[in-house]
Amino acid sequence: MMRFDFGALALRGFTALMMLFLIFPIGVTLLVSLNPREFVLPPTGITFEWFRAAWTSETFLRGMSVSLVLGVCASLIANALALPAAMALVRCDFRGKAAVNLLLMSPMLIPTTIFSLALYIYFVRLGYGSGLLPLLVGHVIHVMPYALRIQTASLHRFDPSFEEAARNVGAGRLRTLVSITLPVMRTGLVSSFALCFILSWNDFPISVFLAPPGWTPLPVELFSYIKFQYDAVAAALASSLIVLSAVAMVLIDRFAGLRRVMRS
Amino acid sequence: MLRRVLPPLLPALLALLIFVALPMLWVVRTSFNELVDGAYMVEALSLDNYTRFLGNPWYLVNTLWFSVRIALLATAISVICAYPVALYIAGTRGLLRNVLMSLVMAPLLIGLVTLVYGWIVIFRGGGLLNSLMIALHVYDEPVRYMWNIKGVVILLVYIGAPYIVLSLLDSIEKISPYLVEAARNVGASRWTAFWKIVFPLTMPGLYAGLVIVFSLNFAAFAVPLMVGDSKTQMIGLVIYREALLNNDLPFASALSVIMVAANTLILLGMGALFGRLILNKLEVKQ
Repeated sequence: MMRFDFGALALRGFTALMMLFLIFPIGVTLLVSLNPREFVLPPTGITFEWFRAAWTSETFLRGMSVSLVLGVCASLIANALALPAAMALVRCDFRGKAAVNLLLMSPMLIPTTIFSLALYIYFVRLGYGSGLLPLLVGHVIHVMPYALRIQTASLHRFDPSFEEAARNVGAGRLRTLVSITLPVMRTGLVSSFALCFILSWNDFPISVFLAPPGWTPLPVELFSYIKFQYDAVAAALASSLIVLSAVAMVLIDRFAGLRRVMRS
Repeated sequence: MLRRVLPPLLPALLALLIFVALPMLWVVRTSFNELVDGAYMVEALSLDNYTRFLGNPWYLVNTLWFSVRIALLATAISVICAYPVALYIAGTRGLLRNVLMSLVMAPLLIGLVTLVYGWIVIFRGGGLLNSLMIALHVYDEPVRYMWNIKGVVILLVYIGAPYIVLSLLDSIEKISPYLVEAARNVGASRWTAFWKIVFPLTMPGLYAGLVIVFSLNFAAFAVPLMVGDSKTQMIGLVIYREALLNNDLPFASALSVIMVAANTLILLGMGALFGRLILNKLEVKQ
C-alpha cells in the first residue's frame, strides 16, 4: 500500500510541475506588465503606466483596429457559411454525410504553412497579391471548421418541434429562422463567434503570410516589436491579449464546453 | 434528398473548393515552374525545384532530416509530459478539474506571439531563469535557452503537449473503472493493472494525439522563426523564407509538396508501428 500512495503522490507532483510550466510564461508576462520597475524583482507596487503606453502607441492601435475589423468580419462570414451547413448536417440524413463532414473540417487538418502558402500563391497569380481579400479569406477558412463544430453541437440539443410548431401556425421559413431557430441557438452562436474571433485575433502564421503592407494585424505587429525590444510595453500589450483570450475562454466554456471544440 | 441537402451545404463547400482545393492544386502546378533571373516565374514543366532540394545533401541533412528529428523529439517529450497529466486529470472532478483543464487549454487559445514573449522574458540571457540560477550558484555563466534549438523544442512542447493531454483524456475516460478494479481484485498490483489494462487502452488516444502533434511540429515555421537561429532551418521556415523573402514561389511550392509527402510517409510508418503495438498488447492481455 505504501507504493500505491507514492505513485499517486508522484503523479500529483508531476502534474503540478507541468501546470507550472504551462502557466509560467503567462504569469511572468502579467507580472512584468504591472511591475513599476520593469524587469527588476521583486515588484514594489502596481503600475498601469505600461498599459497606458501600449494602449496609446500608434503602431499597436493601428494593429488593433486591423485585427478587430478582420476578426469581426471573418467570424461573421465563417458563421454565416457554417450555419446552413450545420443545419443540413444535423437535420438531414444523406449518403456521404460523413465524407461531407470530414471535407468541411479539412482546413483543421492542413498545416497552416501549406494552406497560407497556397492562398498566397493563388492570389498572387490572380492579381490580388497585395489586397485585404487574401487575409480575410485565410482567416474565414481557418475559423470556419470551429464555427461548424460549435453550431452542430448546439443544434443537436435543439428540439425541431419548436420549428414545426412555428411553421404550423403559418410562419414562413425566414420568419421561423429569425424568431425561433436563431434565438434558441443564441448561446451556441455567441460562443461560436467568440471562438472564431479570438482565433482570428490571436492568429500569427496565416497573417504573416497574407497581410498586405499597411494592414498589419496586432500579433504580427507585436512580433516585429519584440524582435528588437522586449520591454514592459510589449508585456502590457501581451497581457491585454491574455486577458481578452481568458474572457473568450470563459464565454466559450460556459456555452459550448471548451474541451469539445478545441481538440483537433 | 439531394435537392434539399445541397443548397445549404453549397456555400461552405464552394468556399473550400475555391479557396482550399484549387490553391493546393495550384501549389503542385507551381512547383514545376521555373524562376528566371531569380525574379520572374515562367510556366514550365521541370523537376529542377525538386532536384535542387532532394539532390542537395545540405538541404537533406539540415532541413528535411533536421525537421524530422526535431518534430520527433518534441513530440516524444510532449507525450512524456502529457501522459501523467492526462492520467491525473482523469481522476479529478469539480473545481480542480475545471482549473486544470483551463490551464491545459490556455496555450491553445492565447496567441503564439504572446506566449513567446513570456518565454523570452524567462529564458533570455539576462532573463529570470538565468538570474535565478546564477543567484543560487547553480551555474555562473548565463546559459543560452532561446534563439537556438532548445528554444524551438521548448516552444513546440509547450504548444504540443495540450493536444496530447486532450486526446489521451478521450481514451482514458472511455475505460471502465470496473476493468481496473477487476484486475486489482484478482491480485494485480496497481502498476500491473496500469501497464496491462489502462496503458494499452490509451493507445488509440495517444496515436490520435501523436498524429496531430507530429504534423504540427513538422510543419512549424512560426516557432523557429521567432525563437530559432540560423541552425534551426526547419522545412516550414525554409518555405516561408523562400516564398516571402526570396520570392521564389516555385521552390517554395516544391518544398511544400515534399513536406506533405514526407509527413504522410512518416504518419503511415507510425500507423503501422502503432497497429503492431496495439495488437501485441491485446494478445498479451488474452
